[in-house]
Amino acid sequence: MIEVRELTKRFGRTVAVDGLTFHVKPGQVTGFLGPNGAGKSTTMRIILGLDRPESGEALVGGRRYDRLRHPMREVGALLDAGAVQGGRTPLGHLSWMARANRIGRDRVVSVIEQVGLAGVARKRIKGFSLGMRQRLGIAAALLGDPAVLLLDEPVNGLDPDGVRWIRELLRGLAAEGRTVLLSSHLMSEMELTADHLVVIGRGRLVADTSMRELTAVRDVFVRSGRAADLATVLSAAGGTVTPEDGGGLSVRGLDATRIGDLAARHAISLYEVTPRGASLEETYMRLMAEVAAQEANR
Amino acid sequence: MIDALATEWLKLRTLRSTSVVLGVVAAVVGLMTLLAWWSARTWDRLPPGQRDHLFVSPLPEVTHMLASLCLAVLGVLAFSGEYGTGMIRTTFTVLPSRGRVLAAKAGVVGVVAVCTGLAAVLATYAAGRLLIGDRPIRGQSAEALSGQLPHFLAMSLSIAMFALLGLCLAAITRSAVAAVAILVAVWYVLPIVGHNLPAPWDERVGSILPGALAGQLAGTGNPYSVAGALLSPPAALAVMVAYVAVPYAVAAVLLARRDA
Repeated sequence: MIEVRELTKRFGRTVAVDGLTFHVKPGQVTGFLGPNGAGKSTTMRIILGLDRPESGEALVGGRRYDRLRHPMREVGALLDAGAVQGGRTPLGHLSWMARANRIGRDRVVSVIEQVGLAGVARKRIKGFSLGMRQRLGIAAALLGDPAVLLLDEPVNGLDPDGVRWIRELLRGLAAEGRTVLLSSHLMSEMELTADHLVVIGRGRLVADTSMRELTAVRDVFVRSGRAADLATVLSAAGGTVTPEDGGGLSVRGLDATRIGDLAARHAISLYEVTPRGASLEETYMRLMAEVAAQEANR
Repeated sequence: MIDALATEWLKLRTLRSTSVVLGVVAAVVGLMTLLAWWSARTWDRLPPGQRDHLFVSPLPEVTHMLASLCLAVLGVLAFSGEYGTGMIRTTFTVLPSRGRVLAAKAGVVGVVAVCTGLAAVLATYAAGRLLIGDRPIRGQSAEALSGQLPHFLAMSLSIAMFALLGLCLAAITRSAVAAVAILVAVWYVLPIVGHNLPAPWDERVGSILPGALAGQLAGTGNPYSVAGALLSPPAALAVMVAYVAVPYAVAAVLLARRDA
């Protein structure tokens, strides 16, 4: 459980996080979305006690991060896979972290195996690809077997196998009852991984909703030889009909079955009837356009 | 705190720059050995009448001076190395108490500096005794180890002071370049500036510069150096402590206040 309450953070005159409140619940993967500069990383840094907020607070399991005695055993974090010293080896890097939180050496070896770095455990990190660094960062996050995980862009630089691996890993961790907060700019990947979404823009909360609600069926796309007649019929039956560019109608308020029946009753031929759910990407773009419009109106 | 100390020790030990710096210190000792050998040979070859003209700076003091800078750099790297890579954020998520991280780093760097410094100075002394023997070369002391040990211990404390000063400067500036620049100014430029001040300020300023403190702490003064020697041993110790305590306090406050 992560609780963010009325969090505000400024950098000079720029407001990075502006009265942000949301909760991240255990047992599901929560996606954390927002454009660059929306305040995602700042929020994550505040949760981890790295940045000091002007006001508000962020609690992990009911406590401030910097009050945790062995934080890695309660919260695992991957903020920046590049934030390691190149001269160290994965074994060395994880060993000092383990020592700081009284985590056994066997655990270090087992997370290295779990993320697939066993073959390079004693090689210098300097020569690693971004994907390998991400795996090392994930190993560090998993080191303390924590109940809460925060991952900032963990799929960056991973190959397709790696992307699938991390998706299954995170879904598995959530299924075990852990709290997982995941940020990513890859909408298609987020759609496959997250159950819940927290969307922020310009430091403010834009949406806090389940993936299912956000990407639910929004309209039915219909093409017909007699579009104008069909539009009249569907409107009379209570649908909201909008003609689309390139022909075809977008129909809201009526499902595909009802549209088909109405067309048959009036002997209007149909060429296509497609229920359309918004993809996460479309919904996200729409939300961001709304944020921009609000901002312009101020 | 024990966890933090063990962690910082592990980090420092596995950091590549640590072995580089210690290697440079070893090279300094090697250089002093070479100098001792050269002095002995030169002295032997000079006609007896000209032997008085040969002057060689006290070798342990040269080692002290060079090792001070080396270990100051080690102190700088113990912090700036993490700021440069962003690993400082990893450190502070692993150990959220920043005061404890600073204290642990200071403890580890301080102990490493005292031990390395003492070893380097003693090795230099041993090489000098071995190669120069009882040749009465000016600048070289033939005094037994027991007589010089207080001075050597003062030197190793002074080396630790430089190392901790470096650590704190790196924590304050978060930059290796800035911290090393300040150190070199304190270590090399200020003594020259101080030496060129009009009397009595040259000696006054020269006495409180960091490089001048070891000799004053040991009560031997600074006979072969531009440094002054106006301080009593307790006063020298107090100035030495201040050189660490003041930057340490500033670093602690800044670390606690700033975003990592």
